[in-house]
Amino acid sequence: QTLDKKAVTSLILKEIHFPKPKAPTDIISTVEFNHTGELLATGDKGGRVVIFQREQESKNQVHRRGEYNVYSTFQSHEPEFDYLKSLEIEEKINKIRWLPQQNAAYFLLSTNDKTVKLWKVSERDKRPEGYNLKDEEGRLRDPATITTLRVPVLRPMDLMVEATPRRVFANAHTYHINSISVNSDYETYMSADDLRINLWNFEITNQSFNIVDIKPANMEELTEVITAAEFHPHHCNTFVYSSSKGTIRLCDMRASALCDRHTKFFEEPEDPSNRSFFSEIISSISDVKFSHSGRYIMTRDYLTVKVWDLNMENRPIETYQVHDYLRSKLCSLYENDCIFDKFECVWNGSDSVIMTGSYNNFFRMFDRNTKRDVTLEASRENSKPRAILKPRKVCVGGKRRKDEISVDSLDFSKKILHTAWHPSENIIAVAATNNLYIFQDKVN
Amino acid sequence: MEVQKEAQRIMTLSVWKMYHSRMQRGGLRLHRSLQLSLVMRSARELYLAAKVEALELEAPSPPAPCPQDPRLHQAREAEVPAACPPPDGEPPEPMDAQEAAEEAAAPPRAAELPARCSLRPARVGRKRRSSSNPSDGVDAGLAPSKKARLEEQEASAEPPGRLPPASAPAEGAFPNLARVLQRSFSGLLSRGPAAAPTAPPARDATPACRAADPVLRVLVRTVVAF
Repeated sequence: QTLDKKAVTSLILKEIHFPKPKAPTDIISTVEFNHTGELLATGDKGGRVVIFQREQESKNQVHRRGEYNVYSTFQSHEPEFDYLKSLEIEEKINKIRWLPQQNAAYFLLSTNDKTVKLWKVSERDKRPEGYNLKDEEGRLRDPATITTLRVPVLRPMDLMVEATPRRVFANAHTYHINSISVNSDYETYMSADDLRINLWNFEITNQSFNIVDIKPANMEELTEVITAAEFHPHHCNTFVYSSSKGTIRLCDMRASALCDRHTKFFEEPEDPSNRSFFSEIISSISDVKFSHSGRYIMTRDYLTVKVWDLNMENRPIETYQVHDYLRSKLCSLYENDCIFDKFECVWNGSDSVIMTGSYNNFFRMFDRNTKRDVTLEASRENSKPRAILKPRKVCVGGKRRKDEISVDSLDFSKKILHTAWHPSENIIAVAATNNLYIFQDKVN
Repeated sequence: MEVQKEAQRIMTLSVWKMYHSRMQRGGLRLHRSLQLSLVMRSARELYLAAKVEALELEAPSPPAPCPQDPRLHQAREAEVPAACPPPDGEPPEPMDAQEAAEEAAAPPRAAELPARCSLRPARVGRKRRSSSNPSDGVDAGLAPSKKARLEEQEASAEPPGRLPPASAPAEGAFPNLARVLQRSFSGLLSRGPAAAPTAPPARDATPACRAADPVLRVLVRTVVAF
């Protein structure tokens, strides 16, 4: 799965977009593949979850290799009102995380700012028929009219996918939840808000354990907040959380009940030549992800993606510039609020390529081995289904070549904040505002 | 002064953003409020530094014969004069270097004060005065004015998609500010520990200064209320 030139030019577009007219509630706010890659879940600003399922590959239609179609749609969260604070609680889905599949049903966690819910998604393709006490329409029969008994049988019906909320984990967060992460023990998970991280058991909804609390005694002394958190993929006692100051802390839950004292502290000393008025804001980490191997963590701040080795705390082992040409535009980006955008980052299945989004519907991939990088665009105008994606380039100064786009022409309202990579194949999902793009390797 | 105006504009913009974020669904966001307050603080410091520099330029030759004056007089663009000896010999941190730079740039107004040569306490007094004296017009400049807010509303009515057109090539909307900021900050940090005399009274004075600042107080109250 290296990002050589051939692989890049083989990416084709299989586009899915929501058929509804553009509404603010249709903006996709999270994208996540499940552990096998068979399912892809998206959450949006309106509190809806849409799950796509990959078609089974059939021998008859080899060229239609496993396309994703809508599998289930349900309303996960509704807007709520906190009467005590006179605040509305947004229904926007901040994160979705899948549980590994343990039986025929699928389970996922979805969260808004305050409440986490466990959803069960299951199929029903049979229906019982032939009840004794009810007729076919469900009306009760008069027992006096029943003269014979029969055994109800299950008859096939049209496939129905139903989603039911199995657990609701509420009232545990004063501040806004930014992350959830399922533990590798598959029995617990954590939820993180700006100042606290709570540990939950899936079976218990009326209590959670607080494992990190960085709220200062005097709020006037507040200097940093938690921005993202994740469990280690294999070690169920280890997790990391990132801060708005650009630091990452690794904690071991065996050390103490309250993990306020970190086991490891990752921070890169600031480059004084890069220091500017907005240095503090752009160093805030918007996403942190463990590699599949568990050896590395990747962090995303406003202008860069960094890869850290868990064994080296004083600096990252790799730094990739996502859109450094924005460094001189920070003041304008502050004006239009773009400087606060929280981009996510993802690993590919083999941890050899990392991907993150940018503006103008561009997204970037970096091959860690060959050090090659590519900029691609998710746009309907420039791609037709099955068309091969063309690499894009941003012209930073001087003469602009024919296919290049100048920095001042970038559309900052088109931003790719959420992307996902299939756990084992070269399939990526890219959310561009309210459109979802799925790109696959071309089959030769 | 240009830097002053830009810093003031950023301050006003930040206050407007803070106000606007309260109206959003979901209420105040702690992270956003913190980021806005960081920008406001930086803008305020820059504004004060620029203001002090402007005042120093207006009064170029302080009449006093105090031996440390020429060194202080040389303070330009908030750069700390390297020649000024640390009164207590402590190595200062870069953050304090900036505060000390403000103090070092403030002395031209020492002409008004009697105890000028005993630098340390006078500095402390001057710093307090410069940041909290309403008659300065400093606070009036920092407090958001209705007019500034209206200007911001008009500015935000522009289409969100594009950046404001660059007035200088490849520099964005605030080319001069960007340049000045870059210069100021790298100037400060390149001087590093060798330069600034960070007097402990300055450190002690800082919390008092912060408490006296009405804008930051509002910010802090906002965050606390949240």
